[in-house]
Amino acid sequence: MLRANNLWVRRGHRTVLANIDLQLNPGEVLGVLGPNGAGKSTLLAALCGELPICEGSVDLDDRPLAVWPGQERARRLAVLPQSSSLNFGFSVNEVVGMGRLPHATGRVRDAEIVSQALSAADALHLAGRSYLALSGGERQRVHLARVLAQLWPGAEGQILLLDEPTSMLDPLHQHTILQAVRDFAERGAAVLVILHDLNLAARYCDQLLLLQEGLPHAFGPPADVLTADALAAVYGLQVLIQQHPERGHPLIIAR
Amino acid sequence: MRMKALLACAGLLLSQVANAAEPLPQRWVSAGGSLSEWVVALGGESKLVGVDSTSQYPRSLQQLPGIGYQRQLAAEGILTLKPDILVGSNEMGPPPVLEQLKAAGVRVKVLPAKADVPTLQHNLTELGELLGKQAEAKALIAGYEQRLQDQAARVKQAQQQQPAPRVMMLLSHSGGNLQVAGKDTLAAWMIQQAGGQSLGEHNGYKPVSNESLLALNPQVIIFAASRLHGDAARAALLEQNPVIAQTPAGRDGRVVVIDPTLLVGGLGPRLPDALAELTTAFYPTGKALTAGAGQ
Amino acid sequence: MTTIVQPRPMLLTLALLLLVVIWLSLALGPVSLPLSETLLAGLRMLGLAVDGDTTQQAELILGQIRLPRTLLGIAVGAVLALSGVAMQGLFRNPLADPGLVGVSGGAALGAAIAIVGTSMLGGLPPAIEPYVLSVCAFVGGLLVTAVVYRFGRSNGQTNVATMLLAGVALTAMSGAGVGLFTYLADDATLRSLTFWNLGSLNGASYQRLWPLLIVVVGVALWLPRRASALNAMLLGESEARHLGFDVERIKLELVLCTALGVGAAVAAAGLIGFIGLVVPHLMRLLVGPDHRVLLPASLLAGAGLLLLADLIARLLLAPAELPIGIVTALIGAPFFLFLLVRGRS
Repeated sequence: MLRANNLWVRRGHRTVLANIDLQLNPGEVLGVLGPNGAGKSTLLAALCGELPICEGSVDLDDRPLAVWPGQERARRLAVLPQSSSLNFGFSVNEVVGMGRLPHATGRVRDAEIVSQALSAADALHLAGRSYLALSGGERQRVHLARVLAQLWPGAEGQILLLDEPTSMLDPLHQHTILQAVRDFAERGAAVLVILHDLNLAARYCDQLLLLQEGLPHAFGPPADVLTADALAAVYGLQVLIQQHPERGHPLIIAR
Repeated sequence: MRMKALLACAGLLLSQVANAAEPLPQRWVSAGGSLSEWVVALGGESKLVGVDSTSQYPRSLQQLPGIGYQRQLAAEGILTLKPDILVGSNEMGPPPVLEQLKAAGVRVKVLPAKADVPTLQHNLTELGELLGKQAEAKALIAGYEQRLQDQAARVKQAQQQQPAPRVMMLLSHSGGNLQVAGKDTLAAWMIQQAGGQSLGEHNGYKPVSNESLLALNPQVIIFAASRLHGDAARAALLEQNPVIAQTPAGRDGRVVVIDPTLLVGGLGPRLPDALAELTTAFYPTGKALTAGAGQ
Repeated sequence: MTTIVQPRPMLLTLALLLLVVIWLSLALGPVSLPLSETLLAGLRMLGLAVDGDTTQQAELILGQIRLPRTLLGIAVGAVLALSGVAMQGLFRNPLADPGLVGVSGGAALGAAIAIVGTSMLGGLPPAIEPYVLSVCAFVGGLLVTAVVYRFGRSNGQTNVATMLLAGVALTAMSGAGVGLFTYLADDATLRSLTFWNLGSLNGASYQRLWPLLIVVVGVALWLPRRASALNAMLLGESEARHLGFDVERIKLELVLCTALGVGAAVAAAGLIGFIGLVVPHLMRLLVGPDHRVLLPASLLAGAGLLLLADLIARLLLAPAELPIGIVTALIGAPFFLFLLVRGRS
C-alpha cells in the first residue's frame, strides 16, 4: 500500500504541492483531476520518488520509498509517464518485454506475459512490428502493456501510477484502456491515474482527488467530488451534472 | 718518404683484408635528406634500393621506392626491399620498428644529424667505410673543409669593406603563412657562415607578424619555397606578402631564393655552393668565389 | 519475434568473418610470404614441432610484426566499437561517439604535451621514453573525462545533456591546447604530432600491448553484463529507474568504461575515428538495438573492420604506410552519409 503523509513539494520559492494526505488502497482506482499546472504530474512524480520532497513522506508498505532496493520496488510499483522519448527501433515485443526485467521468470513465461499484456492493452495485433513505425496512440498502448507486464497479473500490494494514459487515444481505445486498468485493479492492484477527461474519470474511478494550485480541493467518490460548484471553482467552467442513464455515474455537460 | 708510402700501402692492404672478413652492405635504404645525398656523392647511388620522403635530391632518387616519412617507418614495408642496411639520423622511428628490423637481420646505422663540421666528418667517415669508399670520403671531407675555410676567408675580406648585412630567412609551405628562421636553425648557421647577421631571436621556425617583419628591418631576405624557383618564387613572395616590398630588402630587390631541401638533415654536399651564392648576395661588390676555384 | 535477422546465426557469421579477416591480416602484407611458409611458421609459434622449411624471416614477420599488429587491431577495434555502443546508450542517441565525453580530446592534449615536451627537454632516459607518450595520452583522456563528468554532476545526479555540452567545450579547449603546443613545436615534432593524430597500428609490440589487452578484456567482460540496463536506459532515465536499475551508477560505469577503454586504445594507437560511430550504427541496422546482441556484434565487427582498414593502410602505399585514421575516415564518412540518406527515405 502506498501512502503519502503531509506531502509538500517546492520548486525554488514556489510551493507546487502542499498538504497532501493520500492512501492508495488495493483494488481501488484513484483519479487525479485538476487544471493545467495544478500539480497532478508533480504529485505522481513525488509518489514514485522522482521528485525530492520538502516535507512529509511517501511510504510503501510502511517503509519509506527511498529505502526500497531498486528491483524489489520495481516488482511492486510501476509508472507510466505521459510520453516516451524512445527513438530506437526495438520491436513491440522487446519494448513490452522490458517490463519483465525486474523479474527472473525466464524467457518462455515472459513471452506469455508479454502477449497477455499486449492483449489487455488491445495491442496484440501490433506484436512483432517495429516500435518506431507505430502511431502516437499505438505507442501509448504499447507502453501501457509494458507497465502491465511489469506487474502482471496484478495482485494486492502492487501499485500502478498512470499519467494521462489516454491522451493520444481515440474514443474507443480510451474506454478499452481504462477498462483494462479497472480489470487490473479488480485483481487487487492499487491504481492512481491522472486524467483530463472528467467523464472518463467519473466512469472508471472509485475515488477522485481534485487539485487546485497544489492544494487538495476535494476528495471522495465521483458523485461527491464532481459538483457544479466545485468544477466552477476549480476550472472556471459552468457545467450541468446529470446521471448516466445506464450506469448511474455523474455525467458532466459543459454549458 | 718511401717508408711512409710503404707503411701506407701495408696499412691499406691490412684494412682491406680486415674488411674483407665482413662483406659490405650491398642493398641500402636511406632515411634522411642530406645523408642520401652524401651516399650518392660517395658513389653509392647504385646500392640504394629505397629512400624516405625527405630524400629528394638528386632528382634521380625520386625514382626509387619510397619508405615514407622517417619518423613513421614500416618494418614490413622496408623488409620487402630486402635491405642489408638502413642508414638514417637519430630522428628515425618509431623505435619498435627499428628493433624489428634489427631482429630481421638488417643493419641499422644511426648517424647524428647535428649541423656542424665534426659531425659531418664522423658521418662521412662511417659512410665511407660502409661503402668501401674510404678514400673518397677522406677526399670529400678535405674538400669540404677547404671550401668552408675559403668561404670564411672570403667573408673576412668582404667584411673589411662592408658591415655584415641584416639577413632574414623566410620559409613558406606552399602558400601558407611565412615563417622566420630562428637562431638555432641550420638557416641561421648558413647566414652566419655566409657573413650575414641572422635576424630572428626565437627558436625554430615561427610565424611573425607583418609589423614585426618591418621592425626587424632586413637588408637581405633569403626565401626557401617548396614549389617555385627563381624569379617565379620571388614574384609570388612579393605578391602574397606586400609588406616585404616595404623592407629595405624588398625595396633594393635583395631577395635570394634557395632550395628548401638544403635545410634538412644536417650539412649536405650542396651547402658550400649555396654559401658562396649567399655571400655574393650579401656582399655584391666583393670578389666572387665559385665551386672548383681554389685559393 | 524480431523482424530482422536472427541474432545467433548473425553473431556466428560475424565471428567467422572476423576469423577470416584475422587470417588475412596474418597472411597478407607488403612482404609476400608463400602460404605454406605462413602456415608452418604459425604452427611453430603455437609450439608444434613440424617439418618443413621456413625462413627465419617468415617467422619473424609473422611473430614479431604481423601477429602483435593483428592483436592490437583486434583490441583497438573492439574497444572503440564497444565504447561507441556505451555512449550511444548513455546519450540515447544513435549519433553519439566516444569522443563526446572528451576522452579523445584529452588524449590528444596529453600526447601533444608528451611529444613537444620531450623534444623541448631534449630527450628522456631511454628506459622511459617509449612509454611517456602512451602514459600521457591515457592520463590526459582520463583527466578530461573526469572534468566533463564532474560538470555533469549536480545534487548527486548526472545530467547527460549538461555532460554533452561540457564535453564539447572541453574538447574545444583541448584542441586549443594542442594548437598551442603545435605552435611551440619545431618542424620534426610537428610531423610527429600530426601523424599521431592520424593513428597507426605500426610498431606494435607485445610489450606495449598487454596493458591495452587487460583494459579491453575488462571492458569486453563488463559491458555485456549491463546489456539489459542499457536497453532500459534507452526508454528513458526515469523509466529505467522505475524498472529497478541504479541509473546513476550505470552512467558512471559507462563513462568509466569509455574513458579507460578509449584512453588505452588512443594511447596505444593514436586517434582513430569513425569506428566508435559507424560500427554500432551498422550493427544496429543488422541485429537491432537489443544490447544483449548489439554488444558482442559490435565487438566482433569493430575488430574485423579495423583489421581490414589496417590491411589497406599497409598495402596501399607499400613500402610506406598510410595512417589508419585516414582509411577509417575515408571509408567511414561516406558510409555514414549513406546511412543518413537511407534513414531519411
